[in-house]
Amino acid sequence: MSSATLRPVAQRRALTKRILKSLPWYPFIVINLVVFVVFNLWPWLSMFQTATFKTDLLSHREFVGLDNFVKMAGDELLHLALKNTFLFALLYVPPLVVVSLLVAILVNQKLRGMKFFRSVYFLPNVTNIAVLALVFRRFLSPRDDAPFNYLLGLVGIPAQRFLLDIHQALASIAGLGVWQSFGFFMVIWLAALQAIPQPLYDAGRVDGAYGWRLHRHVTIPLLRPTAAFVVVITTIGALQEFGAIFILTGGGPVNATTTAVYHIYSQAFNFTRFGYASALSILLFLIILVIAYVQNRYLKFDEEVY
Amino acid sequence: MSSLRPQAQRSPLTLLRVWIGFQPNQGLRTGFTYLLMGILAVSTVGPFIIMLSVSLTQNIRFLLFPIDLIPSPITLENFQLLFARTLALRWTYNSFYVALVSTLGGVFTSTMAGYAFARGDFIGRNILFYMFVGILIMPETALIIPQYIMLSDLGLVNSYTALIGPWFASIFGTFLMRQQFLSIPRDYDDAALIDGANIFDTWLRVLMPQLIPAMVTLGILRFMGNWNSFLYPLIVTTKAEMRTLPVGLGTVARSGGDAGLDMAGAVLGFVPTFVVFLLGQRYIIQGVSLSGLKG
Repeated sequence: MSSATLRPVAQRRALTKRILKSLPWYPFIVINLVVFVVFNLWPWLSMFQTATFKTDLLSHREFVGLDNFVKMAGDELLHLALKNTFLFALLYVPPLVVVSLLVAILVNQKLRGMKFFRSVYFLPNVTNIAVLALVFRRFLSPRDDAPFNYLLGLVGIPAQRFLLDIHQALASIAGLGVWQSFGFFMVIWLAALQAIPQPLYDAGRVDGAYGWRLHRHVTIPLLRPTAAFVVVITTIGALQEFGAIFILTGGGPVNATTTAVYHIYSQAFNFTRFGYASALSILLFLIILVIAYVQNRYLKFDEEVY
Repeated sequence: MSSLRPQAQRSPLTLLRVWIGFQPNQGLRTGFTYLLMGILAVSTVGPFIIMLSVSLTQNIRFLLFPIDLIPSPITLENFQLLFARTLALRWTYNSFYVALVSTLGGVFTSTMAGYAFARGDFIGRNILFYMFVGILIMPETALIIPQYIMLSDLGLVNSYTALIGPWFASIFGTFLMRQQFLSIPRDYDDAALIDGANIFDTWLRVLMPQLIPAMVTLGILRFMGNWNSFLYPLIVTTKAEMRTLPVGLGTVARSGGDAGLDMAGAVLGFVPTFVVFLLGQRYIIQGVSLSGLKG
């Protein structure tokens, strides 16, 4: 029966009934809704408006159309920041993905004390970046007898300047990030490893696959959806790195660690260019969206794996 | 499989082993595994142990190797200095207050909304659900500037409302709780309705008691997430007394004081999440696994 055949009265009654049935559910979502509208939807929409203004939020507010976007083409520091952001992702994502997977395979063995090791590896991940920065600022000190240089000295490598060296600063922060996060992704890999049904291995053995071959034809294909997830999540994280850079280097030395987010922060809060910072935020959003989309597209298995 | 060859394919490592004529036995392999894991464990925990020992050392300007892991004498001087020179006590209070209210609020609203999305049949349900999914893909950092502008327009910079607000609802939490409600058979709801309960009673008295573990998991993850957040509390607070502990410690790190003072601050920021981690690690690891699996 289509609604067109219903008489208006019956139609109205059905609608009234539907509304009455709906009403009791709204109180359950109203707080969620208010929070998302106020803190997400509204700022998100207003960002597009602010991006067309030149404003310091105090006295000055001037409509400039698309000037903020045009300005990006000539902003050399932005170009450097984007280069640094992608370089950081390259220094951070591949080592993190590989290390966390290897550690997951290591702790997935049925040996005593595995639970203990898993917890230990997870510890840096639950510690906040300010604490890690306080500690690692001291460890990465350029002095000969600071912890890392001392350890390097033991194997005959001369003292390095780490955070003070324009070629090492970004890599040092990426290293700190990998150290902090490998435990988290280890847990994700572990869940995936343990979700592989044992019968698949048995079937593989029946088909004559052993050892490495078994892993190549069973483990690796089945881990592929998880690999896609880990790569996308770590890349999105890398493109938004901020805390360690803010505390440890402040974007320096000589802008060597000025990343996209740091540039946005600095334009807004050091130079009070809130319109331009909004336009940059839109750019950052688009970059992350495109990269996440492309990665999802090419990493995911479209067909069912089993 | 059509590509089956009679001889099993060997990994490069196996080939190497055969070539050098070395077949490690199980015991050796286990020993090697423990060695690797031990080195990794030392590199993970070591910095924290050094942090603790330096924080208890007297008059320590620089952190240099070799180091005495057990300082003599053991002193709390660095902590006294930290509380005297900085607002660390106030920051700790702020962090606890904000994290607790955010956690309780977030778990509460997630449990409510999760229930509505799992069981409710209301106008706009699907649109709202997709809207939430849409918000989930918004990168947090891209929203920081407009959020600050909005809060500044409302005069809410340097307020607890600003620090807690966005944490008072959680999309991840809503999805998680929705999945949990879906995993409970509808028979429970039906039985409760026959007994005369309304949907509120059904939610509070019949379904929620079964979801306490999920709520604890979500609560711990939210507490950790809130306590460790840095960029958002940094931009919505400009007054020193409104900072959260991580943001406050960030300013300590940038001010270049003694190693002892720095490490005392680090210990202060480390202990709360460490304790929560010790008590709730089962839940945390469960929660992380959940977030990684599809569905």
